[in-house]
Amino acid sequence: MRRVLALAASLVLGGGLVRAQSTADEQARGLLEDGRAYRRDGKLKQALDNFNTIVTGFPNTEYVDDALLEIGRYQMEVEGNADKAREAFELVTKRYPQSDGAPGAYYYLGLLTLDRARSAAELDDALAQFTRVQRLYPRSEWVARALYGASLTHRKAGRLPEAVEAARRVALEYPSSEAAPAAQFQIGQALALLGEPRPAMEEFQRIRSRFPASEWAPKALDRITALYRLYGGGKPVFALDPAFNAGAGDVLKDVRAILMTPARTLWIASDKVKSVVPVGPDGKMGASLSGADLQSLSLTPAGDLVVAARLAVRIGPRDVRSYSVPTDKPGVTEPLEKIESAVVTPGGLTLIADDKRKRVCRFDGKGVFQGPFPDTRERQGVRLAIDGEGDVTVLEREQRTVQVYDEAGKPLRSVAPRGAGWELKKPVDVAVDAFRNIYVADEEGFVYLFSPQGQLMATISGELRKPRALTVDPAGALLVYDEKHEKVLRYR
Amino acid sequence: MKGFLAVLMVTVLAGGARAQDASVPAVPSEAVQRELQAAQDLLMRATAEFDGPQQSRSIVILDEIVTRLEGLRRDGTLPPRGRDVLAEAYELRGRAYYNIGLQEKAADSFRSLIQLQPTYALSKDKVSPKVVDYFNSVKKALVGYLAVSSKPAGAKVTLNGEFLSLTDFFPLEVLAGDYTVAVAREGYRTETRTVSIAPKATETLDVPLTRTSASAFFVTEPAGVEIWMDGALATTTAGTLAPDLAGAARDKGLDPARASARSEIGGLSLGSHVVELRKKCHEVVRKTMDLSEAKDYDPDLVKMEESLSSLSLRSDPPGAKIFLDGEAMGVTPKELEGVCSGKHRVEVKHTYGKFVQHVVLERNESLTLDCPIRPSLAFLGVVAESAGGERVAAEVEETLVKNLSNKITSLNFVPAPRETVDRILEADRIARKALLPGAGTDPDLIRKVTDKMAAALEVQGFLLAVLPEERLQRTASLHLLAAGNTVSDRLDVAFNEAASYLRFLSVVDQKAAVYHPWTGIITVDTLLHEGVPILRVAAGSPGAQAGLQPGEVIDAADGHPIKQTAELLALVAAKKPKDRIALHVKGAAAARAVDVVLGQTPQEIPLNDPALVYNKVMMDLRQEVDGHPGTEAAAFARLNLAVCAMHFGDFAAAHEHLLKARAELPQRPGISQGTALYYLGLALERLGYKKEAADAYRAAAAAKDATLFDNDGPAVAPLAVRRAGS
Repeated sequence: MRRVLALAASLVLGGGLVRAQSTADEQARGLLEDGRAYRRDGKLKQALDNFNTIVTGFPNTEYVDDALLEIGRYQMEVEGNADKAREAFELVTKRYPQSDGAPGAYYYLGLLTLDRARSAAELDDALAQFTRVQRLYPRSEWVARALYGASLTHRKAGRLPEAVEAARRVALEYPSSEAAPAAQFQIGQALALLGEPRPAMEEFQRIRSRFPASEWAPKALDRITALYRLYGGGKPVFALDPAFNAGAGDVLKDVRAILMTPARTLWIASDKVKSVVPVGPDGKMGASLSGADLQSLSLTPAGDLVVAARLAVRIGPRDVRSYSVPTDKPGVTEPLEKIESAVVTPGGLTLIADDKRKRVCRFDGKGVFQGPFPDTRERQGVRLAIDGEGDVTVLEREQRTVQVYDEAGKPLRSVAPRGAGWELKKPVDVAVDAFRNIYVADEEGFVYLFSPQGQLMATISGELRKPRALTVDPAGALLVYDEKHEKVLRYR
Repeated sequence: MKGFLAVLMVTVLAGGARAQDASVPAVPSEAVQRELQAAQDLLMRATAEFDGPQQSRSIVILDEIVTRLEGLRRDGTLPPRGRDVLAEAYELRGRAYYNIGLQEKAADSFRSLIQLQPTYALSKDKVSPKVVDYFNSVKKALVGYLAVSSKPAGAKVTLNGEFLSLTDFFPLEVLAGDYTVAVAREGYRTETRTVSIAPKATETLDVPLTRTSASAFFVTEPAGVEIWMDGALATTTAGTLAPDLAGAARDKGLDPARASARSEIGGLSLGSHVVELRKKCHEVVRKTMDLSEAKDYDPDLVKMEESLSSLSLRSDPPGAKIFLDGEAMGVTPKELEGVCSGKHRVEVKHTYGKFVQHVVLERNESLTLDCPIRPSLAFLGVVAESAGGERVAAEVEETLVKNLSNKITSLNFVPAPRETVDRILEADRIARKALLPGAGTDPDLIRKVTDKMAAALEVQGFLLAVLPEERLQRTASLHLLAAGNTVSDRLDVAFNEAASYLRFLSVVDQKAAVYHPWTGIITVDTLLHEGVPILRVAAGSPGAQAGLQPGEVIDAADGHPIKQTAELLALVAAKKPKDRIALHVKGAAAARAVDVVLGQTPQEIPLNDPALVYNKVMMDLRQEVDGHPGTEAAAFARLNLAVCAMHFGDFAAAHEHLLKARAELPQRPGISQGTALYYLGLALERLGYKKEAADAYRAAAAAKDATLFDNDGPAVAPLAVRRAGS
């Protein structure tokens, strides 16, 4: 009887434990779903609280791996804390290697590695993480994203054919995945960089046909437009847009730089009004940023505006810094007082052209001097531009040369000062489009368009009298500030 | 006098007892059967004793039998066999008593016997003549005779409600007494008489019958005609015509050699009657008969006219087996002549599907029927994941059948016979649930079982409903599984909501198209043009044949302005191959109008598209493969079957399809052999055959103009080159 009763009791208890486990799982699932809803609604702190509660309060449920993934994503995307993000993802891969979240964790580890990768070995590490997802979890929904990540890695490593292949696999085998439209865009972009503009246009058009509602469809339209302008006919065609009218009054006087953002806001750095003035797509001027002795405009990889003035650089809406470099005296630094141009690289370096020292200086994310870029040679009258691949274009006005370097300073390409039927006489500004084509404004009344290999593709003149600054819009249209006209001219 | 009165009383009582005897129950109870069996056993013993040296010893046993069976007789439960046993017992007892000299007791036994069966007789061949004479003398004192005749003869005679015989009959022995005699014949008024029968006397009754109904007679040509009287089947003509009616038949246009014998329908009430004469493949004859007199009416001679039609059946593809009302009638296309008019079930069957329709044919009608073959989907019923679900499973099944039968236009929905399905599943020791995803069943077993069920049920796919474990049973998950496939597609319906079924039907009824209309003109969207510039024109395409060139800009199609490529594609997609599309084109020269005759491009099914029900797509594709073997369409369908198999991760099945597709697809630009080779490489790679995969990729790379997706898709060669090298 006692044995029967004991057995009965254990059965009851066991049943109770099973019920309690079900309740814990249900609660954890509820927290996860609510947390994801918070994240979608932008309530990030609440979301993080939920995910942390799952990890600490329900460690034995099947939702811990998902919660850790979300925590890692938060650290990565919101806090920008790569170390904490990595910690969360590695917890998933080490403790829950068989969970549904494990391939996601490898994917994100790949992204983290890719983001920091500068050397070939680091890029291979990133690729290994993405390959691990495909190899260990071939049926997982993360495979498509991992293939896309592999494509990005190949592209960063300059292996464009491999980038096309990996992206093609996403588009072909997972056409309904979240990564498919981005992968299709990669295919187009890689083909364009490989010098295959017509196939690139077809691939971009596929995004518009297959994914018309995705965020990539309007970007694809811009790319097609840019490519068609350059390669659709026998030669590039730039026609003046007579209807274009941006800015007015003193804003258009003494303009030192112009910049068109992806959102089609035209920033005009006017030293006359001592401001950088935004002009929206509707032609209306917005709230300006004040600055004296403005020199150049550029964008960070994250899309923040970089305004270089003589004494300081503003990065984003609030971060204004002055920069100092070491002197011959140990421990003693000297501020940069003749800044000409500034850009921020994908690796987080700030490159600043200093007219006084006749050098381009490299600073890390905290503003600490890292050394000259790309080398110690003197350079004067420098304009800097950075392209979508992170390569740095350096215009030396005095030397009338254009050189392209990678982020580490390795020379990649160059444009000669002269060629058959053309010559850079007074180059004053440089811009680079999405396909690494280089635009050089010459005060003598020309804008020259060069291929990435330095071959002249087109010469734009006509209405130009004294170009002073130029920029290229997302659809490849050229905008030139002409000092004589005191106007921004647009060539579409 | 006293003796006579006593006899009368006995007679009356006996008559009463006989009347009672008429109500023996049809099935004796167990107790009665036991008693009867016991009596029969006793009779055997008594007979043995009777035939033995000490005959008198049988009397005791016979007394026992009489006591038992008379008891049953008094209760009214004595069955006919019991009466025979009792009669025999009485006979033996009477004879036994007579043989030991107790004639009075013998007479008692014989009297009881005669009252039980007045017509009982002893034969001198078997019984001592003295006993027979004695018996007869006893009988004479008890019975009289009754003879009844009627006009017309053949009437039923009952005596106090108990059937006696049919008129006309010779006198029959009847226990003396008073009786009510009823003489009845269908169609005549029943006559009753009272009669008093004295012992040894004979009473004779002549009963003329008065007719109350009419009789109708029919002769038909041919025989075998059903005659319906007032909506009920009265008779069917048969036999051959008597010679005396031949002349009348000829006069009415009948062929006496083919005419039936005269068929009577009697007992017809006077007044108006609706008559229908029906025979298969003949026109129905309707008439009204007015019967004003109760008599035999002259025969109605009716020649039935044949009612035939013809049916012409066509199917795509041809060669499907025809079954008319279940009978095999050849293959399509077929002209069937001499088909009886009326309702028929037409079934046209092919290996990949069938067509079923009921038709009603009019006389002399020639009906042509196009028989679109559709795959058949067998409904395997409902499985429940909880006790609550089990309780409502039958009701849900009924609801689903009602809402899905005859509603799916692209499939034949067929509730599967439960026994057949159970038998096949039991043979492999699996239940219906084992066919569902996540059940852990070996995929090869699922494939084997579904192939068997498909062959047995002549279907191409299956639908299984699952009631999930939820407190409120409102939804069912419908799992659709193509025969030979291993993973089902799931669609949920709220089984009491009509809108939910409409959504299910619209999804299932989508038909996978192998081809799409095609121009071969690749245009792009730009911000530089009003209209869409042509980027490329595929060689040999309809666009090339129309003379279109890269750089030209299409700004209108069929009168509609075109601002985006999507608009042009939508207009093309709404058309069919060989349709025309009128383009307005601006080029280097003046604007012009260009008519393009659309071609067609094979279209790959996307590898992973949540909007597609892949199992249904596979059923449609198999229809193409099996229905049009050896054609390009079948080859492209097979390529898509491979894609579907890859969707489910079944690379082995994909491999099989691709080997065939590779052999069947043409070598030319667009979707072609190179396409199949590329996918073959992919499948081999997934199966782990790296070397064979590389070989396939290299072969695909050699197919210079092969494409993926459709004829305008990305080239296979560069992709294949990279994969071969990786």
